Amino acid sequence: MTAPVLSIRGVSKSFGGIRAVRDVSFEVAKGEILGLIGPNGSGKSTLFNCVLGQLRPDEGDVHVNGKPVSGMRASELNKLGVGRTFQQLSVFPQMTVLDNIILAGQEHHGTMLSRLLGKPDAGLTGQAEELIAFFRLDHLREEKAGSLSYGQQKLLDAAMAFMAGPDLVLLDEPAGGVNLTMLADLRERLQTYNREHGASFVVIEHNMEFVMELSTRIIVLAEGEIIAEGAPEEIRANQSVIDAYLGS
Amino acid sequence: MSQFLQIMLSGLATGSIYALVAVGFTLIWQAAETVNFAQGEFVMLPAFFVLIGLNVLGYPLWISLLFGLVLSIVVLGVMFKKLVVEPILPSGGISLIIATIALGTFLKESVKEFYGAEAEPFPPMFPTDPINVFGAVISLQDILNLVISLGVVVLLTLFLNRTRTGRCMQATAQSPEVAEILGVNVKRMILYAFLINAALAALASFLITPVYLAKFSNGETLGLIAFIAAIVGGFNQIRGALAGGLLIGVLDNLTATYVTAEYRAALPLILLIVIILLRPQGLFGTSEGRSV
Repeated sequence: MTAPVLSIRGVSKSFGGIRAVRDVSFEVAKGEILGLIGPNGSGKSTLFNCVLGQLRPDEGDVHVNGKPVSGMRASELNKLGVGRTFQQLSVFPQMTVLDNIILAGQEHHGTMLSRLLGKPDAGLTGQAEELIAFFRLDHLREEKAGSLSYGQQKLLDAAMAFMAGPDLVLLDEPAGGVNLTMLADLRERLQTYNREHGASFVVIEHNMEFVMELSTRIIVLAEGEIIAEGAPEEIRANQSVIDAYLGS
Repeated sequence: MSQFLQIMLSGLATGSIYALVAVGFTLIWQAAETVNFAQGEFVMLPAFFVLIGLNVLGYPLWISLLFGLVLSIVVLGVMFKKLVVEPILPSGGISLIIATIALGTFLKESVKEFYGAEAEPFPPMFPTDPINVFGAVISLQDILNLVISLGVVVLLTLFLNRTRTGRCMQATAQSPEVAEILGVNVKRMILYAFLINAALAALASFLITPVYLAKFSNGETLGLIAFIAAIVGGFNQIRGALAGGLLIGVLDNLTATYVTAEYRAALPLILLIVIILLRPQGLFGTSEGRSV
């Protein structure tokens, strides 16, 4: 059996007297798409931030590809093969689409000298153009990212997360604010990328239809604890999940 | 016509030095989202470092200039970031602004205490011989000041737009959190901005002090004019800082010659009021975006 890409063991995190995450443990296998759902305040974002090193867990540990990452800086984590997208838009608005994507990959290439004074395309234009084509942004290649529609910026955000060829991508509400047409496009692109490159995803999402169709496994959090885990169809039928979150 | 050309060239030469200082304001704003109100003193101090090299250590001029540049980068770049900005920034931008005002006073009074209140002559880097440019008589020093200042701003712009580090500095200015997630060493990019600002301040000091003489209070006027130049041009754009500096330098000379010299000190302030009323984001600035 191959080692998990992400391993979370006994992670707890409190803020003052509030325990935001309580003894959470799970693993993500290579190529798996894990959906992380739960009502607001259930601890999803806190858990994400513990994985990404932005918060240090009070207890427990997080491993990526077998290496402990608690307290690691985001830039170091990125070099370890972890990408992420944000709930809010996270593109560089005054740079072109092409430059945004190149920038997302350039710190992984070249010597110290070339990173200091090398040309900004870093020899990555070809790879960036492939990703632009993959996410169907060709016609916007030279547009400033800030001039794109919200949905287009979400696609660009996803493309940037994949530029460094990550083993694990954490997607924070990728469907938020995206219209229905573009949503189907985004889901199909994510599934295709997962199938072709074998990258693992962890997806926080409130859009149930989107996350159920995208994910191969779902974990449900409520009040900082895992209350259910299983295939999407099992989660849909789980009474405790329906009571806590999905509703009737 | 020759008089007009002379006034323009002389104004551009002074304005280009203001631009160097104004570009520093922009860089620090991008890196730490604060206004360095000690920027004028950052221009005053390097000249005294050079004078220490010349008069105390007995170095020749060019070695003293190099000594002044290195010391400026260490004191006004590294130490300013580590000892002032990093500890105070978490308390908020306003706290840091107040700290830079205090730092400016500290530097000014320290120089007065340790070096004296009298203006000291400062050797020019270039010959001051007058030369004839299309009938206009202008000093070679002014021409070279203009060429060097503009050359440095052009090189800086090329560095920011055409190197990977420059692109990372732009990304850091636009969204440090996203840049960090994408693998950019944000702390290092911010340090680069402070080092570049210190080097620009030192260069401005070496170019302008031969004209103003080295005096502890030099930073008061310079800092204010450069701050206004950055606002007039657009605080979030290097090209804006450049344009603002050149504009103030030229208008200052034109006003003094063709209108009155009595109110020349008021000109930058009048320009500031006009720009704030008509185009608050500055000539080249954008209302929201930040880029270096």
